[in-house]
Amino acid sequence: MSAPLLSVTGAVKRFGGVQALRGVDFDLKAGEIHALLGENGAGKSTLMNLLSGVYTPDEGEIHIDGKPVTFNNPREAQAAGIATIFQELDLVPSLDVAANLFLGRELIRPGGMLDVPAMRREAKRRLEAIELAIDPARLVADLSIGQRQVVAIVKALSYASRVLIMDEPTAALTVGEVERLFEIMRKLAASGVGIIYISHRLEEVPEIADRVTVMRDGRVAGITEPHAPQAELVRLLVGRPLDELYPERARSAGKALLSLRDASFRLARESAGWQPPTGVSLEVREGEIVGLAGIMGAGRTELLSALYGTGLAGRWQGEVAVDGKPVRLDSISAARKAGIAFVTDDRRGSGLMLRMAVGLNLVMSVIRRISPAGLMSPRRQAEAVTRSFGQFDIRPKNPDIAVGALSGGNQQKVVLAKEILGNPRLLLLDEPTRGVDVGAKGEIYARLRALAAQGLGILVASSEMPELIGLCDRIVVLRQGRNVAEFNGGVDEHTVLAAANGREA
Amino acid sequence: MSDQRIEGTANSVPSGTAAPRHRVDPLAIVVRFQSLIGLVLVAIGGVIFSPRRHGEILFLNPDNIANIVRAVSETGIIAIGMTFVIITAGIDLSVGAVLGLSAVVTATMMISGGFGLIPTILAVLVMGVVFGVVQGTISTRFRLEPFIVTLAGLQAARGLALIVSGNQYINISYGDGPGLAPPVFAVLGERLFDNTVPVATIVFIIFAAIATLVLNTTRFGRYVYAVGGNERAARISGVPVSMVKISVYAITGFASALAGIVHAGQFNFGSANDGMGYELTAIAAVVIGGTSLFGGAGSMVGTVAGTIMLGALANILQLNNITPATQLLATAAIIVLAAVLQSLVRRREGLGR
Repeated sequence: MSAPLLSVTGAVKRFGGVQALRGVDFDLKAGEIHALLGENGAGKSTLMNLLSGVYTPDEGEIHIDGKPVTFNNPREAQAAGIATIFQELDLVPSLDVAANLFLGRELIRPGGMLDVPAMRREAKRRLEAIELAIDPARLVADLSIGQRQVVAIVKALSYASRVLIMDEPTAALTVGEVERLFEIMRKLAASGVGIIYISHRLEEVPEIADRVTVMRDGRVAGITEPHAPQAELVRLLVGRPLDELYPERARSAGKALLSLRDASFRLARESAGWQPPTGVSLEVREGEIVGLAGIMGAGRTELLSALYGTGLAGRWQGEVAVDGKPVRLDSISAARKAGIAFVTDDRRGSGLMLRMAVGLNLVMSVIRRISPAGLMSPRRQAEAVTRSFGQFDIRPKNPDIAVGALSGGNQQKVVLAKEILGNPRLLLLDEPTRGVDVGAKGEIYARLRALAAQGLGILVASSEMPELIGLCDRIVVLRQGRNVAEFNGGVDEHTVLAAANGREA
Repeated sequence: MSDQRIEGTANSVPSGTAAPRHRVDPLAIVVRFQSLIGLVLVAIGGVIFSPRRHGEILFLNPDNIANIVRAVSETGIIAIGMTFVIITAGIDLSVGAVLGLSAVVTATMMISGGFGLIPTILAVLVMGVVFGVVQGTISTRFRLEPFIVTLAGLQAARGLALIVSGNQYINISYGDGPGLAPPVFAVLGERLFDNTVPVATIVFIIFAAIATLVLNTTRFGRYVYAVGGNERAARISGVPVSMVKISVYAITGFASALAGIVHAGQFNFGSANDGMGYELTAIAAVVIGGTSLFGGAGSMVGTVAGTIMLGALANILQLNNITPATQLLATAAIIVLAAVLQSLVRRREGLGR
């Protein structure tokens, strides 16, 4: 048997006193798609950074074609044929596709002028090689996230073409875009490229991977074949079984908190790509977790943000009532007065003050309450922070750390804890576990269920079907801004998907 | 800098990518106290390089110290206001021009207008606040960059000052009766406590103390950090973002007017050209004081230390007869050093840029 394309043996990496990798063995064959799974902090990013030359290992070796190699910087890794696509794509949105593909290695005519036609021709050829019909003269800013992802792949492959490392490439993609990406990945693998595919989405693994390596606590927890049951993968990931991930459902719900009857949100100005709620009827009762399902563009996020007054300008028509009384939900202050809190799907962009301390972030929504007569009360602030840390297991247990330094899961706990401090009656959640590892997901689900048991009503939009099915008491399916079906929790996934896509189950 | 409360910058940040640990980063400590450390270093340098006369270190001469703190009091007052604005991730370029306008209006009202001392001071302070409110309102209402709005405000204030003054120096003469300023106004150019502490400095210190309390202990102060930390998150958390933004420009307007009154009182005239370039000195003091132009982080104590440090540096260079050109280069070096230190800490926090 020939040597694998790429192999790592006994890799150890320390940061100060923290051991990020504790002796990792890993290998990749030519033409293989190898999924690398692990929670945040499991060491998969560190491993990826060793392979792409960002870090050098403290111990252990990297081999390519059986020959030992060392990378002192990312350029050396690229020269050895390893291309890495990080989550934050290194594309310049204000330049066109061709200019991005040739960034830093532009084709120059004699005399120093850019040879734009040649670059566009070559860009077109490379894009067509993976059957992607994008006009090379289009601005990257005008492309969808999925198209940008592919442009980034083409760019990476143009300077390193043996190993492709992809860090959560599907995190921001729609279902259709994921399919397209997978086709391209299979095509590349068939041509002999080895692909390391890092993801949080367990359900994608059997579809795309040839082999799976699961990491936990800086070690390889297990290597398995992709059709291993999800329960087995979760057990490897978190070290405990799957059925503990979702808490038990509530037994009974109380009176109606939020009720919409044929409610529509009339926009002051039409906006392409923003699907306003259109004739929505739904109810969220005390103690109930209601899910919003729907394909991308069905209007889930729009419904939540219109209820909270953070969407586009416009006003509600039809019946919108909180506690049985009609309310005008046209601003953030109106929503907050009605006891509504909102956690957006973008915690870094609109949830947290990243450079500010955890404690300061936690009390952000209750500043009024902890500042009697306009003066901040350190005692009340400390009480509020203690309460949050008691409710949500935020790690590390230090309110003075900048929140941006926490892991995704802990950041999400901070956002949730912040809104819970305000004692809302109705909590609107958009993608509450995006970018959150499985362990923290379980904790968040348990907290939400416990809060519901105390009477909180929760309306949660998610693109992760297992999450909605596992967590919610009821699931409302939206299509084109309208509620088209409703199911009880625990329903099977295909039924919900069929309704979301407008087909009979 | 304050007490157990947490300032805008995190005071401890874990290193590495995995399993964060609670450890204090020495670099972060240096940045947190960079302007105080800088002030101490400049003071030590001042003592070492000071010219001596009969063995006396001129730099430490009480008259010299008084000169330093008097000279920085006007830009100091402005820098205090500017700190609020910069913590919200804004900027106010109009401050120097509003100082000029205020000095001119102060002189004009008392001399040719015949208004009394108190009405004049109140009117000028209100004018400064209104000027700031207008700038803040335009910026928030039309979602314009504060840079542009206050650049326009700078031109407007200079234009108004030229109109009011007729492009003349308005001299202030003292005495009783119409066309004369009450003699008590001249106290702004004098010293108290056995002729040691300049009155202008006392105004600066009192204003700094009040501003420190407002920023660190009030709900409004917390809102200021929140708006600069993440405006969208602040809005979603129910912070009245527009009100906060308008208020910080009202504060710089007030501070500039106060500085303008102090200016008129110290120099006994008002001119449309007063306060030229003060906006840049004030911004420099704020940045050296550790306040981030990205917003969300900064401290008032830092600004005060940064202001005095710049003044002390200029003083020691002057004492040694070093040219203004060299002074500018030294200031440039210090600004870059302060910014580089902050950038290093941001990178270590893993927050990019």
